[in-house]
Amino acid sequence: MAQRLEVLLLDDEPIVGKRLKPALSKLGCEVEIFENPSQALQRIAQKAFDIVVTDIRMDEIDGIQVLEEILKKSPRTKVIMITGYAMMSVAREAMGKGAFDFISKPFSPDELRKVILRAAESLGQPMDFDATRAAGSE
Amino acid sequence: MAVIIISSNSLPKAAQIATETAKALNYRCLGRELLREVGEKYGVSEERLHKTLDELPSLLGVNAKAHALYLAYIEEAVLAKLSQDRVVCHGLAAHLYVRGVSHAFKVRVLADPSELIPSIMREKGVSPEKAAKDAKHEEALRSRWSLDDYRVDEAAPSLYDLIIDLSRMLPEKAVRMIMETSSHPKFKPMTYSVKAVNDMELASRVRVALLEHFPDVIVQADGAAVVVETTAVPREKGKKVEAIEKLVRSVPGVGHVEVHVANDIIRQAAESFR
Repeated sequence: MAQRLEVLLLDDEPIVGKRLKPALSKLGCEVEIFENPSQALQRIAQKAFDIVVTDIRMDEIDGIQVLEEILKKSPRTKVIMITGYAMMSVAREAMGKGAFDFISKPFSPDELRKVILRAAESLGQPMDFDATRAAGSE
Repeated sequence: MAVIIISSNSLPKAAQIATETAKALNYRCLGRELLREVGEKYGVSEERLHKTLDELPSLLGVNAKAHALYLAYIEEAVLAKLSQDRVVCHGLAAHLYVRGVSHAFKVRVLADPSELIPSIMREKGVSPEKAAKDAKHEEALRSRWSLDDYRVDEAAPSLYDLIIDLSRMLPEKAVRMIMETSSHPKFKPMTYSVKAVNDMELASRVRVALLEHFPDVIVQADGAAVVVETTAVPREKGKKVEAIEKLVRSVPGVGHVEVHVANDIIRQAAESFR
């Protein structure tokens, strides 16, 4: 059986984590959710995740700083940025600093699932889209 | 890979740089030849579409209503191609209506005056002084055209990611510079920017469906949801909303429609004086 993807999900709105965790778990990912960026960074310092999904606009530490910290520690980690305040300049900054993708909110779990699948493929751990969709609709 | 949009104060120069860049990157080059396809689809002569892109609306040329409609046709066709990615686009004013798309890399190429003036002299059979005057006049016309249609001066540097002055650089070096800069990760397509192009493409198709009957509409799309803004006098509001909704729903890809109607104050005032 393929190794499960380790995913960290960071968003200061609790509803985002609550909504996305089941969708990603059904994909076969091990998901840890955080609402506090400092705590998320502490966890990232302890463990190299395959994928990190992070909000951009948060108090104290923003998603761009989180991105920089992650890639400093674990360059292979795919970082997916999500934001309700999408702007071209921020999108370019994130991609320029090494983000894997950038998604504007609101998005459906299926949209995130597609990005996770691309990230998995890029990590050399491809997943079957149809199988994961079927799992997602259970 | 990025979409590259090249604009210039010289159409032939934009075409040359775009063609060479597309060839070097193995991208599709999209230029004025698209107007034939647009003309055939909508039954408009290529000449009138060229005029729409080159001239201000006029009574003797293309009138204001047709001008807006033809621009909508052109935008729709261009956006359909850009949504397929790997395109170098020139001569179709895409730098003015493709906005907020992070993977659209916009380049302004400034022609070398020592080449531009002689080319105008040859083309028009005029003196160097007249050619220089014509070049200036053309630039002023382009600024007015872009301001009138898109509320932005196409000569404004803030519109571009890269400005290349061909009096300081050979075209081959310019092409290399475009290739290198456009390959920067910040110009990579991402879910957000691909969606932005798809939204614009859907909005452009809806505008084409509406413009002939409702020339005052503003259309925005977000996924399959479309919002149309328009104006009407109160007694016509219901009918107009219904007619717009019906037309919008006939456009493939539309899921949800909202029509926002503001009072047409000018018409209302004019009618109250009758």
